[in-house]
Amino acid sequence: MSRGTSHRHRARRVILTLGAVTTAACLVACTPGGAGAESPPSAESTPTTPPPVSPTPVPPTPAPPTPTRDVEVRSGALPAPVASVAPVRLAIPALDIDMPVTDVGVAEAGQMELPVDPAVAGWYRYGADAVSTSGRILIAAHVDAIDYPIGPLARLRDVPAGESVIIAADDGTSREFVIQSLTYYEKSALPVDELFARGGPTALVLVTCGGPFDSTTGHYRDNVVAVAVPR
Amino acid sequence: MRKTVAAGLAVGMITALGLALPAAAATSVAQLSVLHAIPDTPVDVYVNGELTLDDFAPGDLAGPLELPAGAYEVAVTAPDAADASAPILGPATLTLAAGANYTAVAHLTEAGEPGLNLFTNDTAQTAPGQGRLTVRHTAAAPAVDVLAGGSPVITGLTNPNEAKLDLPAGTVSASVALAGTTDPVIGPADVAIQEGVNTIVYAWGSAEDGNLAIAAQTIGGLHSNPDGVPSGTAGYLAQQDASTTVLVSAGVVALAIAAAIGAGLVIRRRATVR
Repeated sequence: MSRGTSHRHRARRVILTLGAVTTAACLVACTPGGAGAESPPSAESTPTTPPPVSPTPVPPTPAPPTPTRDVEVRSGALPAPVASVAPVRLAIPALDIDMPVTDVGVAEAGQMELPVDPAVAGWYRYGADAVSTSGRILIAAHVDAIDYPIGPLARLRDVPAGESVIIAADDGTSREFVIQSLTYYEKSALPVDELFARGGPTALVLVTCGGPFDSTTGHYRDNVVAVAVPR
Repeated sequence: MRKTVAAGLAVGMITALGLALPAAAATSVAQLSVLHAIPDTPVDVYVNGELTLDDFAPGDLAGPLELPAGAYEVAVTAPDAADASAPILGPATLTLAAGANYTAVAHLTEAGEPGLNLFTNDTAQTAPGQGRLTVRHTAAAPAVDVLAGGSPVITGLTNPNEAKLDLPAGTVSASVALAGTTDPVIGPADVAIQEGVNTIVYAWGSAEDGNLAIAAQTIGGLHSNPDGVPSGTAGYLAQQDASTTVLVSAGVVALAIAAAIGAGLVIRRRATVR
């Protein structure tokens, strides 16, 4: 219904009048009196052309006005959000990594939530999903956690560029990426706006911890970040 | 500070991610959406005398239009009017500020008269993991409460006002009841609170005519990112690395001692030969 309306409007679009709207807008914006103000004096003072000697034929019914710009119109119905396609498995064959992935959000302190078990990776559910064609698919896992064995992503620091990474999704598809870079960031300097970007080129971003461990705070100094691009 | 494992890989990283930062350029335009919330009557909408929305149906949302900041004259006419000279609503002057986001709503006042109201949409960033719910009372009805899961979260909202709150992403079962009551006059309806999205819900129509309804609008891209990724808490890997280093160091020392002893033997042998 709304789609039909939108198409109809598009068909009736009159591009030339767009300029008129912009000009009118500019005049309004630049005139202190606002929308109700009169036309500039220059327009008033231009000499009017004399009326034509012979009356011109008038069409029997004037054409109805047409919209001056193409405006998207849709129903105000409550939107049904598009469901994401979650990655459910992460594999890096060269490192003998093949681990389950669950979806995670944000922890209390505003940091990314992570599965407690280092053997399970977390996919940031608000970012790009397994089938996205833009933005970063971000998957992270603990390198270690108290009372658990050291996790598979401990080996991420050894991944050479060019290695294959495969994610399997909950719709049954899988997608292959190629490691492009491996970088250590001090956690205080992690470029979260780049790593969590919702737009831009598609990349799979894998994050874990590394570098020196501070036993007083219980945290590693660094994040180890691997970026992989679609093959 | 960041330490890159291989210089060549760092170049790749920059190529992949370096263009991600949005250009925070100052904007001179405003965003304007238009909602038709007067029951039963399709209308035409004129902006500065130009027909902009033709046969605009009740419950429909148009836009957003990107317009240079400034003042605009808006008039609402019967659907087949020849021009804006005989509006049924307006003309009204809407002043739009650069960088701001607005929704103009043609709706009924509490008394049931047609009215035009310009709302400013809150596009401030939301916390990571949260979305925003804005509720606007644009119906011919008295003050209302908004209930989420049966409990009031917004109370005493009157036409033409709004209330808003930021909530964790998820689904809220929302309903509207007359203020001080819990018997829904609208809903309950499942409202998706999407992360980084302002979901604006309008109560519109007329209580007297029994056609109260909701309309919705969403404005996305308000998200912010987590502060960090705390992906290690035990230090086991660091311990393992440290013990490996100790073993390697011990091995190096042992080799050095062996070499020294060997060298000493050679010297002694030479001494013996001499």
